Amino acid sequence: MAVHAFAKSSGRRKPLPGGASNHSGWRAIMFLLPSWLLLAVFFFVPILLTFYFAFTNLSLTGTSSLATKFIGFQNFVSMFQDPTFRISVIKTIVFLVFSAVIGQQVLGLLLAVLMNERHRVFRSAIGVLVIAGWVTPEIVVAFIFYAFFSDGGTLDTFLSVFHVQPIAWLYAFPMVSVIIANIWHGTAFSMMVYQAALGDVPKEILESAAIDGAGRFQRFVRVTLPMIKGSIATNMMLITLQTLGVFTLIYSLTGGGPGNRTMTLPIYMYQQAFSDYQLGYGTAISLILLIIGIVASFVYLRMLKVKL
Amino acid sequence: MKRRAVCIGSSIALACVGLSGCATNSQHVAPQTSSHQQGEASTVKQRIITVAYQQFGNPPYFNQEWLQQAAQQFEKKYRGVTVKLEPIEASENDFYTKIDLMMKSASTAPDVVTEDTFLINADGSAGYLQPLNTEVKSWPDWSQFSAAMKSGSTSNGGVVYGVPYSTDTRGLYYDVKIFKDAGLPVPWHPKNWNDVLNAAKKIKEKVPGVVPLWMQVGKATGEATTMQTFEMLLYGTPDTLYDAAKHKWIVQSPGFLNSLKWIQTVYAGGLGPSLSQILNAQAGNIESQQLMPQQKIGIALDGNWLPGSWQKNGPAPWPDGTKAYQLTAMPTEYGQAPGYTSMSGGWALSISRLSQNKQLAWDFIKIATDKNNMEWYDVHQGNLAPRKDVADDPSYENAPGQFFKVATSFEKFTHFRPANAQYPSVSTQIQAAVEAVATGALTPEQAMQQYASNVQRIVGASNTEIVSK
Amino acid sequence: MKWSRAKADTILVHLVLVLIGVVFVIPLLWMIFAAFDGNATLALQVPQHWTLGNFWAILSDPANQRSFVNGVIISLGQSVLVVIVAGLAAYPLSRYQLKYKRPFMYTILFSTSLPITAVMVPVYELFVFLHITDSIFWTTLFLAASGLPYAIWIMKNFMDSVPIELEEAAWTDGASAFSSLRKIVAPLMLPGISTVGIFTFAGSWGNFFVPFILIQTPSKLPASVTIFQFFGQYGSVEYGKLAAFSILYTIPAVVLYVLGQRYMSTGFQFGGATKG
Repeated sequence: MAVHAFAKSSGRRKPLPGGASNHSGWRAIMFLLPSWLLLAVFFFVPILLTFYFAFTNLSLTGTSSLATKFIGFQNFVSMFQDPTFRISVIKTIVFLVFSAVIGQQVLGLLLAVLMNERHRVFRSAIGVLVIAGWVTPEIVVAFIFYAFFSDGGTLDTFLSVFHVQPIAWLYAFPMVSVIIANIWHGTAFSMMVYQAALGDVPKEILESAAIDGAGRFQRFVRVTLPMIKGSIATNMMLITLQTLGVFTLIYSLTGGGPGNRTMTLPIYMYQQAFSDYQLGYGTAISLILLIIGIVASFVYLRMLKVKL
Repeated sequence: MKRRAVCIGSSIALACVGLSGCATNSQHVAPQTSSHQQGEASTVKQRIITVAYQQFGNPPYFNQEWLQQAAQQFEKKYRGVTVKLEPIEASENDFYTKIDLMMKSASTAPDVVTEDTFLINADGSAGYLQPLNTEVKSWPDWSQFSAAMKSGSTSNGGVVYGVPYSTDTRGLYYDVKIFKDAGLPVPWHPKNWNDVLNAAKKIKEKVPGVVPLWMQVGKATGEATTMQTFEMLLYGTPDTLYDAAKHKWIVQSPGFLNSLKWIQTVYAGGLGPSLSQILNAQAGNIESQQLMPQQKIGIALDGNWLPGSWQKNGPAPWPDGTKAYQLTAMPTEYGQAPGYTSMSGGWALSISRLSQNKQLAWDFIKIATDKNNMEWYDVHQGNLAPRKDVADDPSYENAPGQFFKVATSFEKFTHFRPANAQYPSVSTQIQAAVEAVATGALTPEQAMQQYASNVQRIVGASNTEIVSK
Repeated sequence: MKWSRAKADTILVHLVLVLIGVVFVIPLLWMIFAAFDGNATLALQVPQHWTLGNFWAILSDPANQRSFVNGVIISLGQSVLVVIVAGLAAYPLSRYQLKYKRPFMYTILFSTSLPITAVMVPVYELFVFLHITDSIFWTTLFLAASGLPYAIWIMKNFMDSVPIELEEAAWTDGASAFSSLRKIVAPLMLPGISTVGIFTFAGSWGNFFVPFILIQTPSKLPASVTIFQFFGQYGSVEYGKLAAFSILYTIPAVVLYVLGQRYMSTGFQFGGATKG
């Protein structure tokens, strides 16, 4: 279908200047075909299947795995009556807002602003420390913070200086713990985005603002922020979507527990689908996750007024 | 248009199959089979049967050694057939998920698989397992398995899905020294739940630094949480989990609520272990291999196989383990008849329905579950023997460092889990309820409410009932 | 007066940055100390006797070696595939005036938003249906597809910044679109290619969920899954080995980052991407 659309469109393309007109429409198809094939089979088919399975009682074991039935909206009806589902929506939002929207975004911007115009060596020295967290694979991040937050672990060692009794942070403050771990892992990404963006802000404008008597803070709010608006919105979208899908970190750090205290939607989906054998119900949860992702990107795109 | 896309797709797919074929072959040449294979490949058509089982925690793995022994005997008898052992390194829940995923597809389905009997009905009715009724009929050894044992691997409709190779009972372990230090009676025979609770309170008060009462309450410990903790309580109340006569799940009952309340009392009262110890997938190993050998646990509600860890060549050798700890029966709620309760489960060897070598797989199972192999395994692992000839063998009954005699005596009042295909899904809901209560996330009433609505969703509301006073 | 205030500001900024840097490095300390400690615990302590024993224990295990090889095959295969396929797709999107370009780019952008975790159940069912479960090859192909939307998007933006005039010269010399892509655009796209390649590799190397579900045979599992299993099995006992395993597992990602680092700064320029 879509390939077809492209065949048509590329035939009608405006001829490019200087000899480009000898490129016929099928070339465009040839270039796009591999990506479309891959995306169609492994991306769009599973998404369509998600819509289908979400309305079935498909299960991993037991009778309904053989006799899978179409059950209409039953999964969604139970979902909205399921207190754990409600909890996990809230947990997902908390995790998203605090670890990505606030944590990574603000800390990343702060780092980039503070590092801007510092000495090169100093910049890269601090930069490397922050980027180390980003380069570290998610699962190792989980181990590191497992040790960091464990009863008698690194954090307790440091706090013992202030005579704080050892605390098993992952059990006492599980959500705070996974949020901190995710900030540690993700901040470098935002920092690098903003470093690149700040590098594009022309110095002359800032200087002339300074001459006009604008203070450091005013210059940042009045000049810099509007100029990097595009990067902020793009970054916001990217990290929002990355964070919505975070599974490995939480799964290996807390497994969603204790109780349901870090049960974000991806974890709940996994539990329902694979540990509790309810593939259909798990898929229905996935569908909600997909919809949240789509809505979030739509909102950001609107905010951005992106033109592609 | 559509056809063209398919054509291109399939030609790419063909090229890929060629590639992946190569990759798979090179992957499959495991060191121990390669020399064997080359030697005989020219004369006899080489056949391989695969056996999948769980491997988790610290070595040694007695189930692996047992299957290896059986494999050697099998390969001697059936020339040209190689037994390939496929250990699945995963926690209990992940293991169940993994074997179900494997049995869904012919390319990954193992020939022989170890099945926990709680899952066997579900996997059978999902079409993953081969019915073995005709095979067991012509197998003289089948009469050695008691009716109760057979029922564990047989569906409601009478389909035999596996040969049991172990069973178990559950009870209370107590540390003799801690009990004496706390001024509690030894030997100890609690008469009701309150006796257990009071003993734990006394330990907390008199013997600091030990866990007064250990019982699994995490989702991570999976079926252990359901069976060793929750069902040991529930089946000691007048209520039960499943109404076999009406074929209905009992989603709310006073017994259910009281069981959750008791768990809450233990954990909210600081009588249990810390959450970081108990909510861990490794909780069982922390308990039996670290804390009990250090005598840091006063009372533990657990299975009869625990001393298996303390064997001479076990993961945590401790010859005096069965002297330091004693096993006693779990009382019913108020001591009502028959006074005590226990739960029995076990494991079975099954054949995957998609197996290409069903006859060979069955031949392998017969060897693995013969008297000698069974006895070796049950004695080492510390499981109760499902075979009568093994159970009656003095060398088994009096095996050192085990509680076989006491544990077997619990069979008088033991219970089996509902032989219902939905049980595994219901069980995970129990685990969620228990963890929620133990961590204080939900009150017992809320947890039961949530359990009820989730089970109604899973099995259908018409298949559930509510028992009130 | 004013000068000294600026100086005080500068000192404050440096202090804050150093503080943040220290806070970022603290969690790493445990991993480094424990990896070289024969008796590591969860507590942060400098090893009394430094040893490489933990590393040898991990490296000498054939199962671990195999899992590293599997991981490299999957991640490298995925990265190469993604770079080539996304590069090809980005070319017409950047160079040709396609009528349906905008909806296509919107679709691509939306697709980047879909958490891969969410579609794993259907993907597994699809794999079973096509009889392609438990295959390193197909898993790699699936991972490549899942990385494509993001890669195409970044590649297209990079390609937009390569001036078309260079190609026009080649076209007048009779070069085809493909050869001008290969000979002229690709070399200039090196920053884009390395950014996409590194992003893809890093994401794939750390991805444990997808192979965990799609691959069953233990000998085919990549390092991301074996390290998770190691954590599950021995994580609460063998802390030193876990830390050593973690360091070994992190090395490829670090190496790749160091190699591609000088191109990466341009990879983060999203400002231009949204101006249209």
